[in-house]
Formats: sequence, structure tokens, C-alpha cells
Amino acid sequence: MFAITIKEFTSLFKSTRSIIIIIFLFGVTAGSAKLISQFETQLRDLGLGDNAFVGGLMILLFLAGPLFVTSISHSIVNKEIDSRTIRFLATKTSRDNIILGKFLGNILFWIICLITALLLIIPFSEAFYFSEFFQSIIFVSYFVGLTIFLSTIIGNPSLTMFLGITISIVLPILGIWGMFSENLIIKFISYLTPYFYYTHENTYYTYFVAIFTFMYLILSLIVFRRRDL
Amino acid sequence: MKAISTWDLTKRYGNKTVVNNLNLEIEKGSIFGFLGKNGAGKSTFINMITGLTRPTSGSFEILGEEGNSLKKVRHRIGVLPDYSTFYETYTALDHLKYYSKILRLSLTTQELKDILKKVELEDAINLKTKNFSFGMKKKLGLAQALINKPDLLFLDEPTSGVDANSILNIHSLIREVSAQGTTIFLTSHNLDEVEKLCDDIAIMNKGIIQIKGNMQQLRKQYQDNISVYIKHESISETKQSKLRNDMGLFVKNVNIAADHSEFHIEDESAIPKINNYLVSENISVYRLEVEEPSLEEIFLNLGEKKHSA
Repeated sequence: MFAITIKEFTSLFKSTRSIIIIIFLFGVTAGSAKLISQFETQLRDLGLGDNAFVGGLMILLFLAGPLFVTSISHSIVNKEIDSRTIRFLATKTSRDNIILGKFLGNILFWIICLITALLLIIPFSEAFYFSEFFQSIIFVSYFVGLTIFLSTIIGNPSLTMFLGITISIVLPILGIWGMFSENLIIKFISYLTPYFYYTHENTYYTYFVAIFTFMYLILSLIVFRRRDL
Repeated sequence: MKAISTWDLTKRYGNKTVVNNLNLEIEKGSIFGFLGKNGAGKSTFINMITGLTRPTSGSFEILGEEGNSLKKVRHRIGVLPDYSTFYETYTALDHLKYYSKILRLSLTTQELKDILKKVELEDAINLKTKNFSFGMKKKLGLAQALINKPDLLFLDEPTSGVDANSILNIHSLIREVSAQGTTIFLTSHNLDEVEKLCDDIAIMNKGIIQIKGNMQQLRKQYQDNISVYIKHESISETKQSKLRNDMGLFVKNVNIAADHSEFHIEDESAIPKINNYLVSENISVYRLEVEEPSLEEIFLNLGEKKHSA
């Protein structure tokens, strides 16, 4: 499993799309932190506290995070099924190890990216935001889990790319819409998105999102065990 | 002890039955040849046995473990699937390193290079597989199947798309691996290859095994006649005519010329009778050749029989 994790992790750093995302993520994080540092006194007067420095990163992650994840991982499983490289893996290790290895490889990629982004803020904030780090990892893991699930149930990589991009645009809209809407259907759908939990005042709600990640992962394992490769 | 046993193994895709109630036993240490036309169900059978596809019904055992416990024997199996592609940005060596890590093997780089050398990829060790030809990919597929020194090796069309020299090398490699005690399950369209390499052979058609056995048994079961060619001294037309009449009593089909004769017999016991007769007639025999049906003839014969039935 760990060989697959390491391969996924390293191959993510080699793709042009990932490099663009990393540069964008780091640029926005450092840029917004620098900008905020210029208004530090005013922000403190407004009672926005120390975590204002991490605001740029969090807003970027909430709005564009799904798009980042789906654009680099939309074909994480079905590409290997389509090209049949999966046959060499599936005859050497269990199918569960393949899914878990791929999931962990992607999570590890985001852990490294987010740690680096948060380290870039330290010169301005003089603090490392542990709570925001864990929250952002859980947020990203929701979309990694969802992407793996889609890539397991849908065989066509082009379709998962289309679906991934659509979901990454629709989910934030539905999630935020659900906060203000009285429509029960919209409200219900928003409960299935991480946005409902992340916009709640109590930050502990954000940890509930990990249940969705776990659920997507379990469903992916069940579907993948039954698939013909 | 059996390396593979299957009981009523079946695979259906919708209404189409690709493998139909297949019962098969393969001896440990043997080279088993699996023949059949395209779509006969050979690859689907391998895919089920190696865990790539789930059987619709039936059961199987592999190296003494039940089909649902493949986890226990996966490290003892090598598989070259029918259609192999690799990670384009990885080199041949990268692939073997990756697969050896997945199998938790502690092989050195030199040992991995030696495996690539065995399959004649020593010049392509650091070449990315996107630059590989079809034949080179087959060889790399073979290399990755051998990486764990398997007890059971599945080779699905190992020589298709490979040049003639490399085919000979692959054949010698198969013999070498077999000599070390590995059971080999080989599918091929090359009948000559199967005939040369395999101890036991099964011919599959439309998901059913039509015949199974070693070459001797198959010949016995499916030969229509044995051809005997005799080169002898030149004989007169009168003697030719006598020979034709006398031989006709115990030989099915006689074709006699001045310096050679051809006989088609149903039973090997007719050969000494022919020889004795020629000796009694004082005809000097220079050469006697017995032609047995090849696997190709059996294969074609099987098709014709099915057709006429």
C-alpha cells in the first residue's frame, strides 16, 4: 500500500497542473497574508484576531479547493483501469490496498502543500495555524474521497473530469445557498456538502466532514472489490 | 498435488456465457497449454483465476488456497496479462522497482537489472516505456511476472508481437523457469509453441473445454491416420502392382511409386508388417518416416468434426 502511496504522492508533484495549483496556492496565501499584515491594527480593532492572516488561504480553499482536487485527481482510479496498468497492481496486492494507497498519496500531497502554505504565513503572523491546518485537510479529504468514489464507479476518465468540474462548481454554490435558503431540498443538499459544517459558528462541526470522507472511501472499496479489471 | 483446480467455473456477461461450467485440474510443476480461437474464453479464465474478474458461479483453488483467499497466495503468483500497458513516464527499471516494493521484495537494483537482461531488455533499462515497441512491452510484462520467482506463472500470449529471435529466448526462459519447479499456465495462438513447450494441453471453444490431455493422448484420440513414407530402391512396374495388391490387405491407403511409397495406416502395428513385407520381397529400404498429426492438425480436425456434426 505504501509503495502506491509514494507513487501517487510523487507523481502528483510531477504534473504541470499540480505545479500551477501549488504556485497559485502559495502565491495567494503569501500575497493575502502580506496584504493583511499592512492592515493588522485595523483588523485587530475590528476584532478579527490573529487568524485573519490565514483568511486568504481558507477562502481560496473553500472556493477553488474542490476544483483543485478534482482537476488533478479526477481519473485517479479509472485511468489505470482504462489503460489496464491496474492489472499489474491487482495481481500483486489487494484491491483495498490500491484504493487506500491512492487516497493516502493524495492526502499526503495536500498535507505537504498546506503545511508549506501555512509556513509561508509565519513571517507575517508569527504563528502556525494548527486548527486551520486540520480543518483544511478534512475539507480537502472530503473532495479526495468524493473524487476517488466517482473515479471508481465511472469507467470513463473524460466523464469523471466533466463531472468533477461540475461538482466542484455546483457544490460550493449549493453549500452557500443552503445557508440562506429556506427551501428544504436545498437545505438538505447543503447538509451533504462540507460548506454547511464549515460555515457553522461551532468549529467542531468541521470534524463531522471526516465522516463523509470515510463514507466515500468505504463505498469506493465496496465498488472496487466487485469490479472486473 | 494440483496447482489449479476449478469446479463448474462460469463467467457470464449479460446473456453471453464466456466460460461455461469449466472443470479443470492442473498438476503442480507442469507446463499447461491453453488453446482456443479469439473469444474462446481463455483470457477470461485467467482473469478469474488471478482475481482480475469475479466468477459468476463455481469455485476454484489455486496453490491449495480457495479462490476467495487469493491474498494468501498472491506473492507466489506471476501474471502476464493478455494486454499489457505501462506507466509511460516510468522506465523499465522504475517499473520493476515499483512492483518489487508492492510485493515487499528486497531486490537490489542489480538483481532487477538481471531480470531485465533475462528478457533481453538490457539496452532499455533506463528507457521510458512510452518509447517501447509492442514486443518490448511484452518482454517487460514477462519480467514483472518473474520478479517474485513465482510458484505459479500465468502467461497469456507471451510471444505475440515478439520477433523470432526473442521468441526462442522466451521459450528457453519458460523451460528454465519450469525446470525450477514453477507451474506454468500458457495460452497461445501459436500451436507449434504449445506443442513444443507444454506437458498438458486443453483446447477451449465457446467457454467449454473440448479436449484435454498430453500430446500423445490427443494424437491417439484425434488422429485419423498415421502417414508412413518409405524411400526404397527402384522397383519395376510389375512389382509396384504386386505391392499395391498385397499391401492393400492390411493398409488403408497405398500410394506406390518407383523409388518411394506412402501408406496411411490406422494403427502403429501396421508399421512392422509393412517393413517385414518389403524385406520378404527383397526390397531395400533407405529411409522410413512416420508422420504423426501435429497439434495444428488436431486443432483443425476438431474444427472440421464440429462443423460436420
